[in-house]
Amino acid sequence: MDVFLCISVFLVVCLVSVVQQGVWALLLWPSLFSSCLPLDCKEEQGSLSRCPSISQEKLLDRIIQHAELIYRVSEESCSLFEQMFIPFPLQFQRNQVGYACITKALPIPSSKSEIQQISDKWLLHSVLMLVQSWIEPLVYLQTSLDRYDAAPDMLLNKTKWVSEKLISLEQGVVVLIKKMLDEGMLTSNHSDQGLFQYDVQPEMLESVMRDYTLLSCFKKDAHKMETFLKLLKCRQTDKYNCV
Amino acid sequence: MKKVVEVILLLLLSTVHAKGKRFSPPGKPALTRCRSPEKETFTCWWEPGSDGGLPTTHALYYRKESSETVYECPDYHTAGENSCFFNKNDTSIWVNYNITVVATNALGSAFSDPVDIDVVYIVKPNPPEKLAVTVMEDKGWPFLRVSWEPPHKADTRSGWITLIYELRVKLEEEDDWEVHLAGQQKMFNVFSLRSGGTYLVEVRCKPDHGFWSEWSSTSYIKVPDYFHREKSVWILITIFAAFIFLILTWLLQINSQSLKDCILPPVPGPKIKGFDEHLLKNGKSDDVFIALGVSDFPPTTSSNYEDLLVEYLEVYVPEEQELMLEESKDLHDGCLKSESSTSDSDSGRGSCDSHTLLMDKCGEAKEEEEEERETVRESSRMRTEAQRCQKGWEEHGDMVSPDMSSGRVKTWPSVFSPLPQYSSSPQDQQRSLEMAKQHSLSTSSYLIQPGHSTREVLGPSYWDRQPHLLHPQTQVRQAHSDVNISNIASKQSSPGSLSPALRGTEYVEVQRVNEEDMVLLQPVVEGCGSMEGCPQIPQGEDYSKVKGVDSGNVLLLQREVMEGAVCREMNGGTGNCYMSSSVRSSLKLSACSHTAMPVQEEAALAVTGYVDTATMSRLPIC
Repeated sequence: MDVFLCISVFLVVCLVSVVQQGVWALLLWPSLFSSCLPLDCKEEQGSLSRCPSISQEKLLDRIIQHAELIYRVSEESCSLFEQMFIPFPLQFQRNQVGYACITKALPIPSSKSEIQQISDKWLLHSVLMLVQSWIEPLVYLQTSLDRYDAAPDMLLNKTKWVSEKLISLEQGVVVLIKKMLDEGMLTSNHSDQGLFQYDVQPEMLESVMRDYTLLSCFKKDAHKMETFLKLLKCRQTDKYNCV
Repeated sequence: MKKVVEVILLLLLSTVHAKGKRFSPPGKPALTRCRSPEKETFTCWWEPGSDGGLPTTHALYYRKESSETVYECPDYHTAGENSCFFNKNDTSIWVNYNITVVATNALGSAFSDPVDIDVVYIVKPNPPEKLAVTVMEDKGWPFLRVSWEPPHKADTRSGWITLIYELRVKLEEEDDWEVHLAGQQKMFNVFSLRSGGTYLVEVRCKPDHGFWSEWSSTSYIKVPDYFHREKSVWILITIFAAFIFLILTWLLQINSQSLKDCILPPVPGPKIKGFDEHLLKNGKSDDVFIALGVSDFPPTTSSNYEDLLVEYLEVYVPEEQELMLEESKDLHDGCLKSESSTSDSDSGRGSCDSHTLLMDKCGEAKEEEEEERETVRESSRMRTEAQRCQKGWEEHGDMVSPDMSSGRVKTWPSVFSPLPQYSSSPQDQQRSLEMAKQHSLSTSSYLIQPGHSTREVLGPSYWDRQPHLLHPQTQVRQAHSDVNISNIASKQSSPGSLSPALRGTEYVEVQRVNEEDMVLLQPVVEGCGSMEGCPQIPQGEDYSKVKGVDSGNVLLLQREVMEGAVCREMNGGTGNCYMSSSVRSSLKLSACSHTAMPVQEEAALAVTGYVDTATMSRLPIC
């Protein structure tokens, strides 16, 4: 009989604590819903008629988020590639070997003072140029990596993801340009980009070095995109205190 | 002008050289690090090599990524000694710089290794500023709210540089820091504080690709005591515990008696019959022992037949019978060898089967082995003595059962310790009777190796013991008369004769006590059942049936003449041989009387429980 009593007491104590926690869980329940609500149709930027249009600020925010994410993933891919395929001494000579970045020729500002001087329009156009010039090389990079024997799946997945996201980023920028600058814009002009030529399949070492250069250049350019877009955002909100 | 300088230098060199000092071109300098605090300017530091004894100058040259133009460092002074400062105008982001340092002195110059840097990757910001820590409360539980500002030079507002922050907290007296990653936010809450403790808080930051800054200056904060909050919890716990304690006490009280019995079981009192504790307490020891003595021991009443019938009545069987029995015994090795026989020496096994009965006795014997060893030895001794008295016994040992002796491993116990077999000669019989007397000492049955082995076991020292000393013991143990048939005795049967015709002695076991208080004995000859082709049991007047025990401690025996009893053995030890008795004659046996009885015709029960159906001359003396 005393055993029963002990057990019942114990159960009561447990119940009390559980109820207390349960109350908390119940209170937090509604918050589950709020985080899952989808925002409006960003992916349908090309055809504005299909859904209610998104505001410019939100669009810019979204674009910046995209750019940040692209940069982060490209940084991870680059370091992963570096660890796996590049011998240590060559790791610090990213751009020295002779493979210049493909976007070198583009007229993109490269210092803060320069950037301070260019207009919003040019900022956007620079971003667009960058994005458009990287779409094809990323596809090439994907095929090149597939040829590797020991390329880890993570690397392949990341590069694939990046190339996909880049396309959607391009779409976003186009829409933004249309909104901000009221310009009709060519959506994509890939074929004009003569920056990248397909080579006959190079030998392995060369291929590795070329891919490494590609990845590190892309990482840099992604950072450029991100920075420009953030600057642009700052200019939207507070024109005079920004860069 | 220059030439004059050079001449002077040469003169200096020569003079110095004359003094024994050597000059040399400078050693190779090395760029140690380049850092940018906000991604808009950067500084490079270098380490000069040996100067070679001459004044050495250093110069830094750089080249940008895509052009071949070599520029020299614009500012050597802002950042201090051995440094080069690149201001905003000279800093390009996302562009590789190729930097070299040159050390020059009068004798030559040395170039450092070129270094490639991209400003974006060498950013190490300044520590965050304006660190503020306050104590706030959340439902009575305090927590720290830490807030800070990014370093003033870093332009996070425009997004030019994105910083992530990290803070660390520790108690004043501790050594380990607790590190929290705060992401891009500039505020953080620290929970789980110790009341009354003093905390130290520091913050640092890092760009999304770059180096961690130094830790900011420490901020101290003291958390007030919030004991009252904890106190209420303690009060609750105390009340609860007291409540439980009360309940338990009450329960204990209710069940105190049963608990007591459970934990401290009552000590059993003494079970000695007639033992009176009070007498002992009174201090009269004499009375106590007298009271003890009143008990009916030795038992004189005939009321407890079962007590008397605890043990077997042993009967001598002719040698071949014994042989077969012993062989059957071999097959019951499992029983014999098992030390842990569970037989109970006090139980009257009236309804057991013959073989199993004896087998159990064997196990019993094992238990009492220790105490009985002495008596066995004595009995064996006597046996050997008797042997010596007999003539022509030497070869008996071999005859008994070479197989058995070899087959048997143990010395104790033996179910079958046959009484000395009686030869036809009365003399022998008499002697064997005495022998039987004497080795009925044992209360349990022992297994004694046939003949010679036992002889070996026992030392000659035992042989001197007088038989008569054993009588009292035999008297005492009458009640526990086991079947104690010595093998040696068995060997003393008529030499060389294994024929079934021998009727000297044979085994008898108590089959049961029937309703008329009669002990029914069964021949154990059906031990032959364990083997094929068991010979027919000898027929004759060998079996005794105990009719009863009368008040004068007299065992009444009935002798039966067996006719046509056939022994069939089913499996080891379970066969029952039922004999039909045709002739019954009563015998009066007295444990303590000197009754002379005809030798051949009557069964005699030795005091020790042996029943010798073939011959009996004299019963043991009380």
